[in-house]
Amino acid sequence: MLLRASGRTYDKTYDLAAAVIGAAQGDAGVPHGDLLVAFAEAVLGEDDSALATARNALTTALGPSGLVDAAGVVGLFNAIDRVADATGIPLEPEKAAASADFRTALDLDRFAVAERT
Amino acid sequence: MGLPMNEPFASTASPIRADLAAAHARVWTHLARPGTWWDGAARVAIVAEARQAALCALCRQRKEALSPFAVEGIHDSLGQLPEIAVEVVHHVVTDPGRLGERWYRSVIKGGLTEEQYVEIVGVVAHTVAIDTMARGLGRNVPPPPIPEPGAPSRYRPPGAKPGGAWVSWIEPAEVSEGETGLYPTDRPPANIMMAMSLVPEEARSFFDLVTHQYLPGAVMRDFSREYRAISHAQIELLAARVSALNRCLY
Repeated sequence: MLLRASGRTYDKTYDLAAAVIGAAQGDAGVPHGDLLVAFAEAVLGEDDSALATARNALTTALGPSGLVDAAGVVGLFNAIDRVADATGIPLEPEKAAASADFRTALDLDRFAVAERT
Repeated sequence: MGLPMNEPFASTASPIRADLAAAHARVWTHLARPGTWWDGAARVAIVAEARQAALCALCRQRKEALSPFAVEGIHDSLGQLPEIAVEVVHHVVTDPGRLGERWYRSVIKGGLTEEQYVEIVGVVAHTVAIDTMARGLGRNVPPPPIPEPGAPSRYRPPGAKPGGAWVSWIEPAEVSEGETGLYPTDRPPANIMMAMSLVPEEARSFFDLVTHQYLPGAVMRDFSREYRAISHAQIELLAARVSALNRCLY
């Protein structure tokens, strides 16, 4: 939802659906979005060679500081997701309303805590 | 002269922001100290067990099964924690997208208190955040910190009670003196901030890490400028993709 809000601020349209499910063609409207998605997927994956490739590509595009911040965000959200899922918190009503359209389009509600109880 | 043992990444020359490096060092010290419901040795054992989970054959079989509960067995653990704690650590690390309330109730029935459970989740979350970042950077994870002696504080917030989550939490109106500063004062706390409020010290520490490794709450929606080497849009794209990979709706 913050990605959508960011896009509105800069009058840009991001291919949210494709970005979320990893099916974007190109950068999904976000500078170096394709490299960022590939990096996130590689960090959470098990292919060290793919990770090295993704890391090098991201460093070339964004520099060492960009790589550090990208790695930090991937690490942080890999943790936040676990806090959310392990404590069974619900999505806040305002966030649910703001994301209803693409959650429906992408069938993301199958991931909801309520569906796992 | 040896490097301090409680400073992750201290041995590497890197462009890591000073505030982030300091936050990681603080976290490593925090994890080694007696917590609220677990002592320092147990907390460091949770750190080690979180790393061990990736090597657990049972977890791998469960991950590949249609239902994780269809596969029975014993975890490949380090043997430093009660088996029920190992079950929590391994499941949260290896298959978070399929955690369910029935499973949560079963581990509470199996002997963990909800306070112990929340603290385990907190220690695991700190560890995952730092270790995943290390993997992204192609670095070795820091060695576990050295446990500090002492007894857990056993502080349960007086206002904690069942709410919207599986675990008890503190509603903003129920914050007492012992939880001062836990929530922002200029806006309602997000549910993720309330999730670990049953163990305020874990929640405080984790959200300090959030501030440095992601963004401070006050600037998450400030799109008038950028605060990191990557933009808001790039940050949120990463966050959204990671959450989708983890099958986390939140």
